[in-house]
Amino acid sequence: MAKYMLEILALVAILAFCGLFLYTSSTMEGAEFAGSDNVGSGLIAELSGKPLDSFVPLIPQYEPPSGEIEACLFALQAALGGIFVGGVFGYWLGQKKSLTETKVN
Amino acid sequence: MEGFLPLEWCIVWWLIALPCLVYGVWRLKKVMDADREALPLLGVTGGFIFILSSLKLPSVTGSCSHPTGTGLSAICFGPWITSVICAIVLLFQSLFLAHGGLSVLGANIVSMGIVGPCVGYAIYRLLKDTSVNVYVTVFLATALADMFTYIVTSFELALAYPADVGGFGTSFIMFMGIFAVTQVPLAIVEGIVLALVFKYIVALKPDILVRMNVFSESQIIAARGEA
Repeated sequence: MAKYMLEILALVAILAFCGLFLYTSSTMEGAEFAGSDNVGSGLIAELSGKPLDSFVPLIPQYEPPSGEIEACLFALQAALGGIFVGGVFGYWLGQKKSLTETKVN
Repeated sequence: MEGFLPLEWCIVWWLIALPCLVYGVWRLKKVMDADREALPLLGVTGGFIFILSSLKLPSVTGSCSHPTGTGLSAICFGPWITSVICAIVLLFQSLFLAHGGLSVLGANIVSMGIVGPCVGYAIYRLLKDTSVNVYVTVFLATALADMFTYIVTSFELALAYPADVGGFGTSFIMFMGIFAVTQVPLAIVEGIVLALVFKYIVALKPDILVRMNVFSESQIIAARGEA
């Protein structure tokens, strides 16, 4: 396989994904891009014959007061993951480097 | 989806999830005691669960869903340790984001933390000692771990809400139409991205993968030469 095969493949896949989104959002009528959870909730209400509002949390639950705060918390989660990943890759890179340096010395 | 699963089903899924989590914590302690260098690897594979499960991406069905990122951890640490990491992510989302909930947490752990990773791990084990390329194995295991998470979600909901006409089967197909179809493009992209991540782990820290017997030494050497 070529040296950067996977990088190219990943790039193509992400671009294709974006293209697919642009195509879907421009051609599909009534596409709201809500969470599939919400669409699923609608189907549950339909199947059980109970109105959507009648489904209340069994255990009281904190709800982010706005979309902004929800986005903030999701970003926080992603950032936390990013710190783990970046930190470890840096640690391994340093470890590898010091290993080759001791070999040279 | 707090409140959308009847109490009896919440209890059923919690009863399945709990022993797996306890076993996962025990396994985690064992792996960490055996090799301290496994901790950074857990940081990377767990980190991707944090990142990918926070990204709600649009899909062909006109709705959004998020990838799971669990496959990589399942390959390196097995499904039980993965379920512990998933439980942490899902607990965060239940407590602060109203995404899932404490009563349905058991069901979510079963789909995202247990069955998804188990399927990914099974595929990895099946392909590990064959001539299939290492990165193809990682792609298939991670993409299918993602897919099966949502197939199980559909299964859990269909069990709780069988259709009046056609019962469980009809419901299952209807929920699959929402959850699984949305997931197909996401799972493919996730598989390719995680295969790329695996390439960087192979490049930076091949010895830990060999030591933990994720892949054999000759497979890792071959994997370093290609892609």
